[in-house]
Amino acid sequence: MTRVVIIGAGQAGRRCAEALRERDAEATIILLGEEPHPPYDRPPLSKAVLLGTDPGNGLFVRAPEFYAEKRIDLRLNTRAAAIDVAARQVVTEAGERIGWDQLVLATGATARRLRIPGADDPRVMTLRTMADAEALKARLATRPRLAVVGGGLIGLEVAASARQLGCEVHVLEAADRLMARCVTPAISDRFAALHRDKGVALHLGCALTAIEPADGALLLQAGEARIAADLVVVGIGGVPNTALAEAAGIAVQDGILTDAQGRTGIPGIYAAGEVARLPHAFWDARPMRLEAWQVAQNQPVAVARAIAGEDAPYDEIPWHWTDQFHWNLQVLGDPDPAYRLVERAEGEKLTAIALDDQGRARGAVLINNGRDATPCRRLIAGGKALDAAALADIATPLRNFL
Amino acid sequence: MATWHRVADEAELKLDTPLGLRIGEVQIAVVRLDDGIFAVNDVCTHEYALLSEGFCEEGKLECPLHQACFDIRTGKALNEPAEVPVATYPTKVEGGAVYVQV
Ligand SMILES: Cc1cc2nc3c(=O)[nH]c(=O)nc-3n(C[C@H](O)[C@H](O)[C@H](O)COP(=O)(O)OP(=O)(O)OC[C@H]3O[C@@H](n4cnc5c(N)ncnc54)[C@H](O)[C@@H]3O)c2cc1C
Ligand code: FES
Repeated sequence: MTRVVIIGAGQAGRRCAEALRERDAEATIILLGEEPHPPYDRPPLSKAVLLGTDPGNGLFVRAPEFYAEKRIDLRLNTRAAAIDVAARQVVTEAGERIGWDQLVLATGATARRLRIPGADDPRVMTLRTMADAEALKARLATRPRLAVVGGGLIGLEVAASARQLGCEVHVLEAADRLMARCVTPAISDRFAALHRDKGVALHLGCALTAIEPADGALLLQAGEARIAADLVVVGIGGVPNTALAEAAGIAVQDGILTDAQGRTGIPGIYAAGEVARLPHAFWDARPMRLEAWQVAQNQPVAVARAIAGEDAPYDEIPWHWTDQFHWNLQVLGDPDPAYRLVERAEGEKLTAIALDDQGRARGAVLINNGRDATPCRRLIAGGKALDAAALADIATPLRNFL
Repeated sequence: MATWHRVADEAELKLDTPLGLRIGEVQIAVVRLDDGIFAVNDVCTHEYALLSEGFCEEGKLECPLHQACFDIRTGKALNEPAEVPVATYPTKVEGGAVYVQV
């Protein structure tokens, strides 16, 4: 009987545990999580949780009794402190040694901290965990003037939620446009217009250099600019939790290096979810570490299959989404600004398809147009050359191009 | 008591093109498939999204938010992230009009 230990009881850890159970009724499955909560998905944290609306089934996807029913030994408040590769044991912070035949590292990431003077003030927060979300929600209830550092996905979601709660909101972004890492300039502009229209003050090309306490509040300094705020949320990306792996001698490079199915260089040790950097079929096997719900949802299933002895590389077309105010943005594949963008717009709905120099779809961006996600995914997977002029005609449904 | 509500002209409903509508508090997606007209609850059981705004083919409605699929004939959730089925409602066509029983 195999004994599998999974470190990290987040979305990826849960998905790996349940996929393993589906394949192996006998295996002992131990899921270690340092957080006090059973596994939850993070997307609602910056949206429904802050807003106080019902996250439906999107937060705690499984009921608490699910784990016992599936004989998944879920141990919360349990931090793994070391991996003893020679003895094939995990050492917990409390000093307990837990043996494994197969080990999965699903340790995720931590919010990146600002390294500038004043960033250690307790009014400077990040958002990664449920505890962070609850603390932020409590602070937002007093309607502080909020400064969000970082105009990426999480920063903008926090800005939108805080604005909807009636706060004065500033967003400081060092680049000259929003979400520069994942969308093209035209899409950035649309989102900038949305945020401004809702009363968010955007400060683009604004690199924060210091935060200073002033008159019971905080003064943010960026070049000549001074922005006063009562609360600061930093959303400048995540840092993968690779320390355990590194100490155990597993190769890491901004993520734990694995093959296409999550196997690390040490037999019997795998990495699942956002912490893994794997050769991605979509980018001709370039090693990629993707920070998205999709990866935490499906890559761990490929890991479970590897443990069960199946060959099934993880090769999905990348996809992620964000919700800001009443807008839903979905990004598929690689809508690189260097590609030609064909826009199919209809009021507040937009589908923009990125074509490479041979006319093949490589990526797509959808605003309030989830209906087009599946046809776009198929266009990208199909790899067929498309006629840009014909594609731009919204009278022709996308499925006609498949 | 469930009653029949007139929701559309039959000619209005095109194949695989869901119609989203509201009857009182209930949001419903009405879809014409090749073997008839079907009605399901329009609200995804994962988080909140209207299935009638999603992609439709082969008797399935796909949620526009996270792409969970539902069987339009039975309401069954076909793939993650949804687990819970959506309710289905009886339909009938009479005198060129479509009715849904809610
Ligand atoms: C606020 C927020 C909003 C997001 N919104 C979206 C969105 O709208 N769309 C989208 O596509 N993606 C979104 N994401 C990204 C997505 O949620 C993440 O990519 C996903 O959570 C990654 O899952 P994971 O399980 O790999 O890592 P994590 O969720 O980070 O889970 C890792 C777990 O391991 C635990 N752990 C770490 N080290 C140890 C240890 N030594 N011992 C024990 N436990 C340990 C951690 O405490 C954590 O619980 C969002 C992320 C955040 C933070
Ligand atoms: S809301 Fe429908 S799949 Fe998430």
